[in-house]
Amino acid sequence: MKKLFALLLTLLLVIGLFAGCTTTDTDTTDTTDSDAVMDDETDDSAGDDTADVPMKDQEVVIYQNKVEIHEQLSAFAAEYEAATGVKVTVKTSGGDSPYAENLKAEFQSDRQPDIFVIEGMGGYNTWASKLTPFENEEWMDLTALEFVVDGTTYGFPVAVEGWGMAYNVDMLKKAGVDPASLTSQEAYEAAFEKIDSMKDELGIKSVVAMAAGPDMRWVTGLHNFNGYLSAGLEFGDTTVLDKLNMGEADMQRLTEYADWVELLFNYSDRAVLLTGNYDAQVGQFGTQQSAFIHQGNWIDPWMISNGVDFPMAFAPHASVKGELTTIFIGAPSFYVLNNESENMDAAKAFLNYMATNEAGHNYMVKEAQMVPAFTNVTLKPDAPLSANLAEWVAKGKAYTWLQNDMPDGFGMGTIAPIYESFAKGDITKEEFINLIKDKIEELK
Amino acid sequence: MNRYTKDKLIFWLFLAPALLSFLLVVIVPFFMGLYYSFTDWTAVAGETPNFLGFANYANMFSDIAFRYSFLRTFLFTLLSVISINFISLTFAFLVTREIKFKNFYRAGFFIPNLIGGLVLGYIWQFIFKSVVPAIGGLLGIDFIEQLLILAEPNLTLFGLIFAFTWQYAGYIMMIYIAALLNVPQELLEASEIDGANFLQKLWNITIPMIAQAFTITSFLTLVNSFKQYDIIIALTNGGPADIYQDHIVNSTELLAVHIYNVAFKYNNMAEGQARAIVFFIVLSFVSIGQVYFSKKREVEM
Repeated sequence: MKKLFALLLTLLLVIGLFAGCTTTDTDTTDTTDSDAVMDDETDDSAGDDTADVPMKDQEVVIYQNKVEIHEQLSAFAAEYEAATGVKVTVKTSGGDSPYAENLKAEFQSDRQPDIFVIEGMGGYNTWASKLTPFENEEWMDLTALEFVVDGTTYGFPVAVEGWGMAYNVDMLKKAGVDPASLTSQEAYEAAFEKIDSMKDELGIKSVVAMAAGPDMRWVTGLHNFNGYLSAGLEFGDTTVLDKLNMGEADMQRLTEYADWVELLFNYSDRAVLLTGNYDAQVGQFGTQQSAFIHQGNWIDPWMISNGVDFPMAFAPHASVKGELTTIFIGAPSFYVLNNESENMDAAKAFLNYMATNEAGHNYMVKEAQMVPAFTNVTLKPDAPLSANLAEWVAKGKAYTWLQNDMPDGFGMGTIAPIYESFAKGDITKEEFINLIKDKIEELK
Repeated sequence: MNRYTKDKLIFWLFLAPALLSFLLVVIVPFFMGLYYSFTDWTAVAGETPNFLGFANYANMFSDIAFRYSFLRTFLFTLLSVISINFISLTFAFLVTREIKFKNFYRAGFFIPNLIGGLVLGYIWQFIFKSVVPAIGGLLGIDFIEQLLILAEPNLTLFGLIFAFTWQYAGYIMMIYIAALLNVPQELLEASEIDGANFLQKLWNITIPMIAQAFTITSFLTLVNSFKQYDIIIALTNGGPADIYQDHIVNSTELLAVHIYNVAFKYNNMAEGQARAIVFFIVLSFVSIGQVYFSKKREVEM
């Protein structure tokens, strides 16, 4: 009996404390209607009614996923505060600590950021209930790369990135290959063969630095596979992607595409291809042990920090048959607004300032070494591949980035291992095509 | 309020903080997880999950990757339990003999256990990728120079067991040392007078006397092998790809890694949670069974 009494007492203690801990998240019902939300943290109501708080007193929290620009963005935020008096706090997680999980945790713990990052449709589908559209912002007229769903703009493009077959300019000259001619599978085949025969002269291990191992699944399952989704199509054409999402494979394209994968794998270094990580792959190109690399302009910082300074540029991927005239250009990630933010106006103003003000341009181009997605930017990046990317952007033609609009995990989890088996020689090209087709059909 | 009640009250008061934390961070989340595994929970704050019943559990068993992962985990566990216990028992015998520098050896065997799993994984990855081919080059053996250990499913599994043994054997060795030092010398002396040889002494005296340690070590190695995550992430990242029943699977994606990938890479939180529940049930079953049978073999002095 007494034991029971003691137990009850303890339980009471526990329940009391537990209830005390949970009172803050009682408002999980989703409303944007400002008078229905009870919020114990602040005395003004949440929602879209922020007019009663002057912009000066609002504090914007931005939670982003690029570790490499955290310092620069924080410096820019401090500059912004000096200019306008609005405090902007930059929080970052990324690289090895997965952003998506941390973002969910951030929301669960009620430390909601005002601005956060999504990467295409996958992120949109996860966060749709939390987003609010941008309307009539000045920057919207200056870009074609904003994130749009059904005609409504939800995302501010962080930067432009692009990838193609990056090549070592001097090496191609030495081998007598004209990079301008590299626009089809036949041309690539001839060029690869020629360079391969001059391996010793050029001092290279293999023609292409390509990686398909467990650490590099994004290269094959996302970036390379995007060739199947969009190479040779008009910018913004999503027919192949839509078919994929409905569980239908375009066999003609897939067959042509498999030839391209085979060509790349045949002219790669086996060790880098099967077990290489990012450093191994980029390092092979950076130390001039390959003429080409299958990567994008994001390898610039690696090159700079390792003192690599030979001229390099991009050539198109010949993912399918026919003439391919441009590289894959897109915005990898977008800043989006949290619809429960109490600092909405300040958040919008901050983004607008970044896109329209000289200081913002300077931060994006010179400090963070990014290629901005806005037409009013006149600054030119210093890094070789980013500068070359800016030229491709200026030409006004691009193949779309669609790899982030596939179902979550499909690229890196489902199909990337198939590339690895193909690279190892465990399966034939025929089996490679059929396995990918099967996986696409499983998406029905 | 008599003395007894007062004592009880004080006892519970002292227990309350620990009990409370345990409730809050283990018991409550466990039951929440159990509930989530029957829903389409997405972990996005503010979205109410819909109840699905057993759909997540049904999907699990039709998923070839999960079945493969299960088999692979059992194989890995079996091999690593044997390998760790064998190595650590051997070491324990060595460093309890009268040899020179035995304390130095003890410390040396134990040190890898102080290195975090991630760091250790990267170290071994470097050894398998760069050092082994370099040694092959020095020896002039082409086969070793061209060998890509981490591209071969079975070699990779052995590499993983090797790295895990290297990390864990020193810790298990310490438990065996403590047990070996507790074996009564007079028993061993008596048997020697009776003319028992080394093997007879080992089999009839030492092993039964340290059966208690076996219970603990096999439990620890079993559970830890089953839950292996960090070394895998650093060393192999789930790869290399392998072919199983005409499907391409990740050969070292053991259960913990598989659950993480389903939940976070494929963004199927609820499905991952359901698999974690099954993982919990299987692991409980296996480890309780193991402890029960090991306990039966222990002897009392």
